[in-house]
Amino acid sequence: MSDVIEPGLELQERQNRFVSQNFRRIFVQIYHLVQNVADAQDLTQEAFIKALQHQEQLKDEHKAAHWLSRIATNTAIDFLRRSGRATFCELDEAPESHSESPEAILLRSEHREYLEDGLRLLSARERAALIMRDVEGLPAEEVAERLNCSKATVRSHIANGRTKFRRYMERRKR
Amino acid sequence: MRHPNQATLALQAGGDLGPIRSWWTARHLARCAECREELAGYNEMRELLPELAELPEISWNRMAAEIKANVRLGLEAGECVREVEMPRNGASLTGWRAVVAFASVIVLVGGCLVLERPAPRAVHAAETSVESTGDGIQYQNGDNRMLGLMNGGAQKAVYTLDAQGSMGARYIDPVTGSITVSTVSYAQ
Repeated sequence: MSDVIEPGLELQERQNRFVSQNFRRIFVQIYHLVQNVADAQDLTQEAFIKALQHQEQLKDEHKAAHWLSRIATNTAIDFLRRSGRATFCELDEAPESHSESPEAILLRSEHREYLEDGLRLLSARERAALIMRDVEGLPAEEVAERLNCSKATVRSHIANGRTKFRRYMERRKR
Repeated sequence: MRHPNQATLALQAGGDLGPIRSWWTARHLARCAECREELAGYNEMRELLPELAELPEISWNRMAAEIKANVRLGLEAGECVREVEMPRNGASLTGWRAVVAFASVIVLVGGCLVLERPAPRAVHAAETSVESTGDGIQYQNGDNRMLGLMNGGAQKAVYTLDAQGSMGARYIDPVTGSITVSTVSYAQ
């Protein structure tokens, strides 16, 4: 992150380094929220553009990572709200292992679809809170920081998200 | 027995309750099979969710190159838009500019009001009078300018006045019998 403010480097080079150092983390973070590679890649680019257009805020390197994560989260949440959340998982994007049989790949794909259907029932912020807490394993304080809200609000989002998702699972079992 | 609500159980499953609520809920769970079953449902759900963290196979190098190129394009496009918008942004009314603009408007409006409503001024109606003197006629207009025509003692003289400020007299001299026509006018 310190490269961002290193004065000796050309601006473009510094920006490229900044992208290189952070794009994987930001892509994964966004992918967990939107569950689609193409959307996640577009949103990652959007988040970096927003961040680099306000580079002056990146001078504090301790806060820069959190700040970028927050931009990424907000960008993904805005996208989820805009799109009403329809996810498409292309076959060649589906998680796969060369040792798996086609049946196993199909089962895995169906199971993933089942989980994604459950996520669609949640609001954008409930979904984000649940993913960050239960998928990424972030502490509630960090979730609150990323969502720019209080810990109590995050707890409420997490509780709602878990309750809705569990009801969905029970309905599907019947 | 008072059961914890679903939100409390959902938070208890992930260890997201405060210490006192958590202790109270744990104590209740130890005695209540129904709530333990509910909690088990939440735990089962939480065990499934991490599957969403799995990533498909991604060519990171290709993606890095694409993202860098697109970010560069996006930044350049943003610069273009910013340059076009700059004059408008530069003229935006914020801070001291707003104060100066506001003060100017006040002064302008005040000036207009003063000019539109000048101080009352005594206006006298133009008083025009025509008066016969012993040997002629005298005309006085509203500007207090006077004009006079003599008739040379003629008994019958004809006078004409017009609105443009000229005056004429025609008469026959009683001694010589000559006809005199005189016309005078105000200098404009």
